[in-house]
Amino acid sequence: MNYRTVLTICPYCGCGCGMYLPVLDGCLGRPIPDKTHPLSQGRLCIKGWSAHEHVASKDRLTKPLVKTQGEFKEVGWDAALDLVAARLLKIREQHGPDSLAFLCSAKCTNEENFLLQKFARAVIGTNNVDHCARL
Amino acid sequence: MTNSAPEIEDADCILVTGSNTSENHPLISSRILRAKRKGAKLIVVEPRRIHLARFADVYARQKPGTDVAWLNGLVHIILAEGWEDREFIAARTEGIARLREQVAGYPPARVEAITGISPAQLREIARLYASAARASIVYAMGITQHTHGTDNVLALANLAMLTGNIGKRSSGVNPLRGQNNVQGACDMGGLPNVLSGYQPVADPKVREKFEQAWGIEAAGGGSGSLPAKPGLTVVEMANAAAEGAVKGMYIMAENPILSDPDVNHAREALQNLEFLVVQDIFLTETAALADVVLPGSSFAERDGTVTSTDRSVQRMRRAIDPPGAARADWEIVCDVANRVQRNTQHATRGWNYTSPSQIMDEIARLTPSYGGMSYERLEREWLRWPCRSLDDPGTEFLHQGQFTRGRGLFTPVDYREPAEKIDEQYPFILTTGRIVFHYHTGTMTRRSPSLEREVHAGFVELNPDDAQQRGIRDGEMVTVASRRGKIEIKAQVTPTVSRGVVFIPFHFAESAANVLTTRALDPVAKIPEYKVCAVSVDRCQHPEVVMKCQV
Amino acid sequence: MNTPEVEIRERVRQLLDDDRLPGVLGLRAEHGHVGPHVFNSADDLTALVLEPRYGMALVCQAILDGSPKGRLGVVARGCDERALIEMAKLGQVDLARLVLIGLACSEQQARECMCTRPYPRRIDVGEKVAGVAPGDDARVQQLLAQDVQARLAFWQSEFNRCIKCYGCRNVCPVCICDACVLEEMCWVERGKIPPELPFHLIRAYHIADKCILCGACESACPVDIPLTTLYALSQARLKELFDYEPGLDVTQKSPLTTTLEETPLHEL
Ligand code: SF4
Ligand code: SF4
Repeated sequence: MNYRTVLTICPYCGCGCGMYLPVLDGCLGRPIPDKTHPLSQGRLCIKGWSAHEHVASKDRLTKPLVKTQGEFKEVGWDAALDLVAARLLKIREQHGPDSLAFLCSAKCTNEENFLLQKFARAVIGTNNVDHCARL
Repeated sequence: MTNSAPEIEDADCILVTGSNTSENHPLISSRILRAKRKGAKLIVVEPRRIHLARFADVYARQKPGTDVAWLNGLVHIILAEGWEDREFIAARTEGIARLREQVAGYPPARVEAITGISPAQLREIARLYASAARASIVYAMGITQHTHGTDNVLALANLAMLTGNIGKRSSGVNPLRGQNNVQGACDMGGLPNVLSGYQPVADPKVREKFEQAWGIEAAGGGSGSLPAKPGLTVVEMANAAAEGAVKGMYIMAENPILSDPDVNHAREALQNLEFLVVQDIFLTETAALADVVLPGSSFAERDGTVTSTDRSVQRMRRAIDPPGAARADWEIVCDVANRVQRNTQHATRGWNYTSPSQIMDEIARLTPSYGGMSYERLEREWLRWPCRSLDDPGTEFLHQGQFTRGRGLFTPVDYREPAEKIDEQYPFILTTGRIVFHYHTGTMTRRSPSLEREVHAGFVELNPDDAQQRGIRDGEMVTVASRRGKIEIKAQVTPTVSRGVVFIPFHFAESAANVLTTRALDPVAKIPEYKVCAVSVDRCQHPEVVMKCQV
Repeated sequence: MNTPEVEIRERVRQLLDDDRLPGVLGLRAEHGHVGPHVFNSADDLTALVLEPRYGMALVCQAILDGSPKGRLGVVARGCDERALIEMAKLGQVDLARLVLIGLACSEQQARECMCTRPYPRRIDVGEKVAGVAPGDDARVQQLLAQDVQARLAFWQSEFNRCIKCYGCRNVCPVCICDACVLEEMCWVERGKIPPELPFHLIRAYHIADKCILCGACESACPVDIPLTTLYALSQARLKELFDYEPGLDVTQKSPLTTTLEETPLHEL
C-alpha cells in the first residue's frame, strides 16, 4: 500500500483553488480540497471536484505523432523532435523568422510559457508569440 | 486584480459586470456572496439574468455592447450630485476637467435610450457605489470581449478613480482571469509586444538586458539580437496564416480551432500552413490538423508555478508520471530549442535546465515583478506579484499611495456601437460565454464523466417571447446563423436572456458558437468581439439538409 | 505537560515502531499547508499536526479498499470514529483493520462544530468535554420558533446560492451509493444552477438515519449553506422519537429500517 497526497492547484479557472491529489499505488483519486488554502478554504466547484477525471482518459496522447499522407503514425521522440527542428529551421531560412508563430498556453506553467517565448524570441527570432488570453 | 481575492468579502459595495461569476469563478463568487451576507450592497449589470442577479440589490440589464454609455452615465450622475471623492481626485489623479466635460453628453435619458437601463436604476447604482467606503468592481470577458473593450476598461477605471475606490483593501478594479494560468502566460511574456513582466520588446534597454542574459550577443550569428518589432496576436496570426505570410506554427496546449472567432476561417488558416506542431494531452480539434503532435503533461503530472487571477504565484506539483512516452512540456520545449540550435551556428544560453525551479530563478532575475520569487520562498510564503526582492513580502493590493504612472489619468471615452448591427435577416444579438460545468473548449471537461453528465451538448438560450413568436419550443433543434456560418443547436427557452438576445456557451465542438462569431477586434487590445454579433434563429425545417458545422 | 500534538506523535510512533503498523493516517504540515497524510516512519512525525479538522473516514476507506489486507492506524476524533462506525454498519469499512488513536476535541473546537460528542469512545489524547445535543443550538431554535412557511422561505433562499458542486455529497462519509440519485435527471434537472429543492431534500432524507453531524458537508460548501443545521433538525427528531443516534455502536440498527409493526427488518 502506497498512499500519497500531493498538494497542487486546480487546472481550470483563474481562482486557483488548492487541492491535494490522492495517489494510491500510482492511481489518481478524487481531489481532497485544501482546507488551508487562503482562497478556497477547503471548497471547490464541480470542475475542481472532477479535475482528476480527464487525466486517466483513454484519449490521452502517449506517443509523438507524425502525419504522413494525412494519417498520424506513432514515432519515437527523436524522430519527432528532429522533424520539428528541421521544419522550423527550413521555414525560417526560406521565409524569415516572422513566418513562424507561437502560441503559449494559459493551461501551462509560468516556466513553460517563459521558455516557449524565450525559444520564439531568442532562438527563432520572432515576436509572433501570443496565447488565448483574449479568447 | 488590483485586490487579492479574499479581500472581496470585506467590500461594502460590489459592482459585478460582464462576469457570470458563480459559473466562471465560483470560489470568487462565494466571497461576493459572503460580502453580501455581511451587509455589502451588490450591484449586477449584465445582459443575462445570471445566478448572482438573484442576490443583487440592483440588477440592471443593459443591451449587449453598450457598457461605455452606462458607465459614463454613472460618472455623469456622480459628478452632478457631487458624490465624487474630491480629496482622492485632487491628490492622486489628473484630467478630471476633460472627463467632466465629456460625460456631460451622457444624461440619464440618453443612457436609457442606448442601454435600456432606466434613470432611476442608474441613479441607484451611482448612489450605492459612490457612497460605499470600500466599493469594488468585478468584471471579466463580458467587459473586454468587445471592439471597444479597452474603452470599457477605461470607463471602469474612471468610475473607480472618481470615487476613490482603488488602492485600498477590499476596494479596487478586479478583472477575473478565466484560466488557471492565463495571468501567468501574460506575465511570462506570452504576448507579442512584451517580454516577461510586461517589459516592451520595443525598448532597446530591455532587449539588451535579455540579450545579455541569454547570451545572444556573445554568440553572434543567427538572428543576432532580439527582434524589436512587436509580433502578431492570435487572431492576426490566423489572418496571416490564411494569407500565407505565416508558414509555420508551434501551438502549446491551446485549441484555437474552437476558441478563435469565426472558426471556419481559423480552420482554413491552419490548414494553409506549411507546418504545424501541436503540443497537447489530447488530439484536440487543432492537434488533428498538425503535422507533428507532441504528447505533453496533464495538470496532475506538472511541476511548476501558476499565477492565479489575484496575482498569487502558486506551486503545482507532480502527483503521477505522464502516461506512456508523454513528457513534461518544459522538457519538450528545451529539447526542441536544443535541436534547433544544434543545427545553427548561433547558440543562446540556458537550455540545460534540470528543473522548473531553475527556470523560475531565471524568470526572477529578468522580471522585476517576480524578482523576489523562488521555489524555496514559495514553500513557506504566500506571494503575490509585484514581489521585487527577497525581502519583499509581495503585494496584496495594487496602487496603494501611487499609481504605476504616478497620477491616475482620467481618460474620457465615447460610446461606439458594436461592430456588427442586427438587421432583418439577422435580428438577434448573440453573446457567448461559459457555464459552470465546462471549461473553455472542453478538451478536459468533456472527457470528465461527472461534467459531461450534467451538460453534454451545446444549447442556445432564447427568450420565451421570441421563442413563441417563432414557434420554437423548449428543447427543440434550431438553426442559428450569422454572416459567417450556421450551426444546429438545441433551444433552451428561458427568461435568463432578454428579448432579442441569445446566448451560446462555446465549449461544444458539435455546435461551436465560434462558427458564428465575428473577427472584429478591439483596436488596442486586439480582443475579438465575442459578446456581440448578429444572428438569426429559426426552427430546423429540414434538419437533414442543414450543414453540420465543420469542426 | 505535553501538548496533544506531542502526545499524538508519541502514540503514532508506538504504532509504527512497536506495533509494526505499516502506516498511520494523520495530518501533515508541508509546503505551508496542511493535509491528510499516511505516516510510514517515525522520522517524519515532527510534521504531524492536529489542525485543521479533515474528515478521515473516507480517506481510510479509500486506502483500505485499495489494498486487500493489512492494517492502518488513524488519528480519529469523535466525528471520525462515528463516521467509521456508521460506515461499518453499511459495510463500507472493516473496523478490524483499523487502529484508532482517539483524540478528544477541545471545548473551543466542540463549540465551533456544535458537536454532539466531541470525543471518541476510547480517548488516547485530550480531555473529554461535553457535547451539544443535536438541535440544541441557537440557529435551530430560532428556526423552530418560526412557522413552516417562514422556514421553507429561509431554506429556499439559502439553497438558492447552491452551485451544485456536489461537495456536500462528496465529503459525506455516510453517502455511500454507487449511483447517486442526485445525478438522475428524473429527480433533479441536470446542468442547472441552483438545483431545485429536491437536490437538498433527497440528500437530507437519504442520510436522515445515518448523519453523524460531523459538519464535513457544511465546511465543504462553497456558498456557506448551513447544511448541518438542516441535518441536526432531523437528528433531533430521530433522538426524540426513537432515542437513536447514528454512529455509536456497530450492532445498533436504524429504527427507520423497521416494519410498521415495529419489528426490526433483520429479525423478519
Ligand atoms: S475548483 Fe472551480 S473555482 Fe476553484 S479553481 Fe477550479 S474551476 Fe476555479
Ligand atoms: S456543497 Fe453547497 S454548493 Fe455544493 S452542492 Fe452542496 S449545497 Fe450546493
